[in-house]
Amino acid sequence: MQNKINRFLLDFSVLSIFRRGSKNIFIFFVFTLLIFLLSSILFISNSIKSELDTTLNELPDITVQRLQAGRAINMPLSRVDRLLAIEGVKAVIPRVWGYYYFANAGVNFSVVGIDSFEDQYRDLYSKLCDKFDFDRLKKDSGMLVGVGVKKILQNSFYGDYFNFVKPDGGLTKIKIDGVFKGDTKLESNDIILLTSQKAREIFGMNKNEAVDFVVKVANPTEIPNIARKITTLYPDSRVVTKEDLSISYQNLFDYKSGLFLALFVISAFTFFMIIYDKASGISSDEKREIGILKAVGWKIDDILKEKFYEAFILSFASFVTALCLSLFYVYFLNAPLLKNIFIGYSTLKPAFDLPFAFDFQTNAIIFFLTVPIYIAATIIPSWRVASMDADEVMR
Amino acid sequence: MLLTPEIITILTLDFIFIFFGLIAFVISIKIVKSWDLNSTSQAQYKLEKQSFLVSTIIKYIFIVKLPLFLFFIFTADKLSDIITGAMCGAGVVNSVSFGSSMFFYKILNLYIFGFWLVLNNYDLKKENQPYTKYKFWLYIFGFIFLLTEVYLEIDFFLSLDVSKLVSCCGTLFSAASKSSISFIYNIDKIYFVYIFYAVFLFLLLGFMLKNSIAILLGNISFVFISIISLIMFFGTYIYQLPTHHCPFCMLQKDYYYIGYVLYVTLYIGTFYGVSGAIMSILEKRKEKFYYNVSMIFNTIYTLIISAYPIVYFIKNGVWL
Repeated sequence: MQNKINRFLLDFSVLSIFRRGSKNIFIFFVFTLLIFLLSSILFISNSIKSELDTTLNELPDITVQRLQAGRAINMPLSRVDRLLAIEGVKAVIPRVWGYYYFANAGVNFSVVGIDSFEDQYRDLYSKLCDKFDFDRLKKDSGMLVGVGVKKILQNSFYGDYFNFVKPDGGLTKIKIDGVFKGDTKLESNDIILLTSQKAREIFGMNKNEAVDFVVKVANPTEIPNIARKITTLYPDSRVVTKEDLSISYQNLFDYKSGLFLALFVISAFTFFMIIYDKASGISSDEKREIGILKAVGWKIDDILKEKFYEAFILSFASFVTALCLSLFYVYFLNAPLLKNIFIGYSTLKPAFDLPFAFDFQTNAIIFFLTVPIYIAATIIPSWRVASMDADEVMR
Repeated sequence: MLLTPEIITILTLDFIFIFFGLIAFVISIKIVKSWDLNSTSQAQYKLEKQSFLVSTIIKYIFIVKLPLFLFFIFTADKLSDIITGAMCGAGVVNSVSFGSSMFFYKILNLYIFGFWLVLNNYDLKKENQPYTKYKFWLYIFGFIFLLTEVYLEIDFFLSLDVSKLVSCCGTLFSAASKSSISFIYNIDKIYFVYIFYAVFLFLLLGFMLKNSIAILLGNISFVFISIISLIMFFGTYIYQLPTHHCPFCMLQKDYYYIGYVLYVTLYIGTFYGVSGAIMSILEKRKEKFYYNVSMIFNTIYTLIISAYPIVYFIKNGVWL
């Protein structure tokens, strides 16, 4: 199989592409655009996934919710002790958190109540507790807000305090004590942090209730076992482990990019038809060229090879150009417009930066879905051109 | 059914293979039926032109299939993250009963399509095109194998289930498993090492004597004994774990993707050996180029795989 690459043939292909400039520029442009769209979507999906993965490491080992009629309801604090009695459980932290809808801006804030003396379930919060004076927060019942929240409040002229509307219609006025930035903007942009006592007040919750429990486990290999024990102890609880979340993230993102890809495949086949058509319609000039080549001794195989080089060079150039463009679009421009497909309908759209995540696999997918399809589309037209008779085309 | 980007990619390309493969198949049947190089009829002239289309299609399928096969393994490895119980590609592939036969067809097709191209190359170089009918017969069988492979692959992807519990490679490749090959775990693994090196020496001897039959048989047995000895003996040194007999885990990052290097060199070595030997028999002259490539890659494979136990022994002073 000594199919060595013929440099002169390669040279001829490049020149041939330029000779039919206008036709090839059109193909190059459309193909680049198509690949660009595909790779941008996959890059964004990857990037958000990697961001969520870093968040995942911080997530609690086990989260326990209570279900009634299939919906999550508040947990009575009395359950904490019985959960603590399970062997291997390091800590049980009741969480008070929820979403607060701010109608003026049409956004949801994530309100998180904390107590500084507790073992914090997220590094971010414990760091904040060290940085900001929690006692002050407690004394003048203030709150810490994320950058995004601060901006939105400012737009509604809430400079240094905010009035929460309680379920019973009363107001709770809370001072803004500080603004914080998280490691990952996606998770901290819409957060309001205050004491759990105040959070309960805003949500109108009972004093001896929490939204859910976070269970810390000393030995990570025991997590599934402890999760099972909790379900037996309280059959009405929904127990979610870190691994469950990780798998469902993976599925969600595979599903979302898969859905897009399914749409892409349709457009790729449309493109396939366009290329097929374009490559089939040969001008009389081209016909004469083939005729001359054959007359000077080119074989069908040589012309096929030349056409293959042409298709490969054109599609690979598109592939590389599109890849560079989408790298620029996603990581420098932060993917305006397209990003929203993944961030979803959450109304406080956090203006976060996409972290750089570049892997071999995504590029392989993009490559396999574009270059081979393009080359496939040119197989039959090239063969038709190559097998024309010299005397017939030169006539 | 999982709709991950990788699976969509593979299925799309499968579809293209089948589409073009079918065109080539129809032409091949026509050629096999009525190819006559001495005829000057219009039909024969048309067939001659069409044979070029077939060779282009097969070239295309083979060139795309090679990297796609690596990508398939990579995908299986990635899916092991989301399939319960699987820790590497082995668990994913064996989550269906026909997983290993699918793999067998995939590898077989790589050899068949590759050999087709070699045959085609020789055929076109000669004026009387002596191999034309053979190569189209070969393709007709190759296409049936390709169809089987794609059918199994689609079925495989359809029956992947995230919630189903599958076995991990630790149980699949152990004496406790009830697979057809589990009996070999009862044999002392040192015999496989002896056989492996014996086959390699046999290959080397065949290479020195330039004996085609020896090289052909040697290479075929080298594929099998290499994989068996890799599972039974050499793999345990790659993992540095006497109980771990998995041919898939070595494809992962933890082992520096060494599996890809091993399998690719083994494929190149044996492919060139087998096709060179067959061509030598058909052509009645020695195909030195093929033999050289084959011997070089088989030797590289043997050197890499031997380095693992030796380095282990030097470091630790004991065998596993």
